[in-house]
Parts: sequence; structure tokens; C-alpha cells
Amino acid sequence: MKKSFLIVLLIIPLIAACSTIVLQPVNFGWAIENVLTSDANGMVEEQRHAISFNITPLFQAEFGDSVKADSKEIRIICSTDGFYFVTSKTFKNVYVLAPAENSLKVDNKILINEQGLLSPVFNQRDTHIELIDGANIYKLTSKGITVK
Amino acid sequence: MRTLKLISASILFLLIAVNIINAQSDFDKVQNFKTKYKQIEESIKNASDLNQCFDIENEIIKLKGDFTADKKLLDNSLYPLNFDSSIDKLVSALETRKGDFTQITELKEEVSGLKEKITVLDKQNYALLEQIKDLDAGRRKDAATIESLRKLTDQLRSSLRKRDELVVGIIDSLLAEFVNHPFTLNEAERISFDKKIEYNNLFYNVERTISDNIEFITVTKLEPDDFADIKEKYSSFSKMWKQIGPRLGDVYLNRAEKTAAIERIDSRFGQWNYAINSQMWRSINSLFLEKNIKLLSYNSGSEFTERVTGFIEDEIKNIGVKKSEESENMYYTFADTLWFEKIQPEWVPVLIENRMLEEAQKDTIEARIANWKAQIVPEGLAWWIYIIGIVVLILIILGITSVLKKKQVS
Repeated sequence: MKKSFLIVLLIIPLIAACSTIVLQPVNFGWAIENVLTSDANGMVEEQRHAISFNITPLFQAEFGDSVKADSKEIRIICSTDGFYFVTSKTFKNVYVLAPAENSLKVDNKILINEQGLLSPVFNQRDTHIELIDGANIYKLTSKGITVK
Repeated sequence: MRTLKLISASILFLLIAVNIINAQSDFDKVQNFKTKYKQIEESIKNASDLNQCFDIENEIIKLKGDFTADKKLLDNSLYPLNFDSSIDKLVSALETRKGDFTQITELKEEVSGLKEKITVLDKQNYALLEQIKDLDAGRRKDAATIESLRKLTDQLRSSLRKRDELVVGIIDSLLAEFVNHPFTLNEAERISFDKKIEYNNLFYNVERTISDNIEFITVTKLEPDDFADIKEKYSSFSKMWKQIGPRLGDVYLNRAEKTAAIERIDSRFGQWNYAINSQMWRSINSLFLEKNIKLLSYNSGSEFTERVTGFIEDEIKNIGVKKSEESENMYYTFADTLWFEKIQPEWVPVLIENRMLEEAQKDTIEARIANWKAQIVPEGLAWWIYIIGIVVLILIILGITSVLKKKQVS
């Protein structure tokens, strides 16, 4: 009995030391979207929030052609819960990206228009990301479209 | 019932329409604000008078009014500023610009008075110079004419001094403003300085000052003290021009005609200095001429030394050739009447002070004069005369004493 008690006493501090510290709440949201133009290699750079990445895989996914990523304008915004929403003119989808180790991973792909978007813009809203494309307004979260 | 449906449909359509109209990108709103902000910033820089500043003030008020609804968005987006601090920044820049124009207006009023005074003095100086030239050109140089000339010269001197002081005041005020802009000027600052310079007629006034001063020394007969003053005036004016010249070059970086005007004034300063020096040497030479001593022309300390020592050497060589009385007279005229009475006490200090003659050159001349004196009045002879005089005096005293002793004995 005594032995078991001692083992438990030793394990408790070990468990406490290994537990992850979590800071909450966090607001990752950008006040406004940003419009970025890719270079010849498909790289875009957002200076205020200091993030840069290659958009070629997104263009490949949309059009099946990586060459199209050269000098393209994309629109990007970060939601309050830390997901990046990326789209561009003629894209059918909005890509929801989540940060991963040295990369951004597509967390969700939200189909908006089979014909392709005409002039998409993102706005930051309290509970969601607003996507406006001409007369159409969509409420987006990382899970998908909540209201059209 | 049908009417009610129609009204409901209309309201719904209106709501949808309003929603569509309001559906605008936040990014575009921020960009729109930034564009207008930059336009106002540029307008402030390029404003050329107070009225334009008042118009800009209204634009700032309008900008603030148009975007107040988006204050929260702008607060979050205009990093590191926010909406209020951005507007405050514009207001503050505008106030600073207004201050420039208020200062310029005050300066304009002040300088306007100066300009009028300068114009009056220009006319006055011109008339005085003409009168002096007329009198000087006349054949009759009686006491009354000489007196008139003297009075006119005094008037002109004082009038020139007043004008010079006004021009110096203008340059001073510009220099003070340049001190507030120690680095390379931007385009708006260049425009502002150009206006001030044009308004003050700076180039004309500086050139006119130099011309009048050159003419003054050319047409008037001046004394050594006058030249000392003139040299001092030239030095301070020239120093001031050297200070402001490069800054003017910066103002008129890409304007060839102005750059040429600056270079012309630079060379005019050289001419002014040359005119003063030449006139000083001419005045000294006129003293020799008055005594019928003709020297070859000279225009520098070394030439002067060379001519004078050359003349002395010639006179020494001529001892024995010319009548001794003539040689002695020439020595006494040259040494006593001219050199030691006029040139050495009155002119040499001014020449040395202005680096037109070196101390060593003066010593060379005086050594030659001493040598000349030794040839004319041999020092050895003079010494024996004194000895003989003393011996004779002693003999006389001894003679008188012995006579007196003999008388007492008898």
C-alpha cells in the first residue's frame, strides 16, 4: 500500500510538468484582407503580419497549371481563430489554410461558384469572414459557408 | 391584400439593394482613406499661400467626416497610426505650413519697407555719383569745388552704407532661414526659398551693391582710413556671400540662369577686391607723383617693393653724377616728406593688415632708405665732426680757464 502511494506521489509532479500550457483567448484576426501579387516563382509576401508563402499549389489545384501562378493577385485574410482564407479572381473555391510546421496546410476547400469568382473581397467580421463577390455575400468560417 | 404584397416586395427589394450598395471591401475603404490622406499630404507640401492652406483645412475636415463611420476599421488598419492620430498628423503638418506662410507674410511686410528704402537710396546714390563725376571732370578745382566734392563724397559714403546695411539685412534674414533647413532642400522648400529670393530681388541687390561700391572707390579720392573701412566692408560682405552662395546653389540646382547669376556675382566679388586694391596702389602712387617721383606702375606688394627699391638704387647710383644738392633734396623728399611722414604711418599699416604688403617687404624698403641716407650723409664723417666739435669745445673751455687763472694770479 505504502509502495503504491509513493509511486502515485512521484507520478503526479511528472504529469503536471508534461502538461501543455495554453493561452486563451487569442485573436488572430486581421483587421482587413490583403491583396498580394505573386512573383515569378509564385511567392507572395504580406509585410505587416510578416508572412510569405508560395501560392503555386493553389493555382495548380484550381487550374491544374502551376505556370498560372506567376504575377497573380490573391486576396488573403486571417480569421480570428487563426485560419487563412485565400482566393482569387476566377477561383471556384476559397481555401482555408492552417499553419503547420514550415508550411500552410489546406484545412478546408469551400466551393463558392462553379463558374469562378468575378471580383472577390474578404471582410473581417466578429463571428465570421465575409466574402463579397459582386452582388453575392457569403458568411464563411473554417468549416464552410454558414449563410449565403 | 395584393397592395400589401407589393409594398412588402418593394421593401424587401430596397433592403437587398441597400445591402448590395453597402457591400464594400474594407480593404478598399482603407485604401481609399490612404489615397485621400496622401493627396492631402502632398497638397500641404505644395501649398504656395495661406489661402491654399485654408482649402486644405476643409479637405481634412471632409476626410474626417467621410470616414468617421469606419473609425474602428481604420484604427485597426492604419498601423502604426490610427484614425485620430492620422487626422492629427495632417492637422499638425498643415499648422506648420501655415506658420511658414505667416512668417513669410511678416517678412514680406518688413522687406517691403526695405525695398522702398533701397530704391530711394539707389536713386540718391546714382545722382550723387553723377554730381561727383561732373565736379571731378571740371577743370576748375577751386576751394569751393573741392569742398563740394568732399561734401558729396561724405553724403554718398553715408548713403552707400545705409543701402549696404539693408542688403546685409536681407541676406541675414535668408541665412537665418537656411539655418533652419540644414539639409538638402526638398522641392517645396526650394519653391518657398525661390519666392523669398525673388521677392527680395536678392541677385539684383547684391550685384548693385558691388557695382556702386566699385564706382564709389573709382570716382572718389579716398584716404587710408576710408580704404580700411572699405576693405572691412568687402571682407564681411564676401564672407556672407560665401556662406549663402552654396545654399543658393542648392535652391537653384536645376536652373541654369540662376546658377550663372550666382557665378557672375562670385566673379563680381573678385572684381570688387581688385578695384579696391588697384585704387589703393593708385592713391599711394599719386603721392609720389605729387612730388615728381615717377615709379613704374605696380599692383601688388612685391611689385611696389621692387619699384621703390629700384628707384632708391637708381638714386644711389646717381650720387656724384647729379648735383649733390639735387641728390640730397630727392632723399629728403622721398624719405622724410613721403615715406616716414605719409606712407609708413598712414598707408603701410592698412596694406599690411590687408595682406597687400608683408612686414619683410617694408623692412627691405626701409633698409634701402637707410643705405641711401648713409650715402647722402655719410655716417663716418658725421662721427668725426662730433669728435672734432667736442675736442674744440674742450680746448675752448681749457683756454678760458687758463686765462681766468692767469688773471687771478696777476
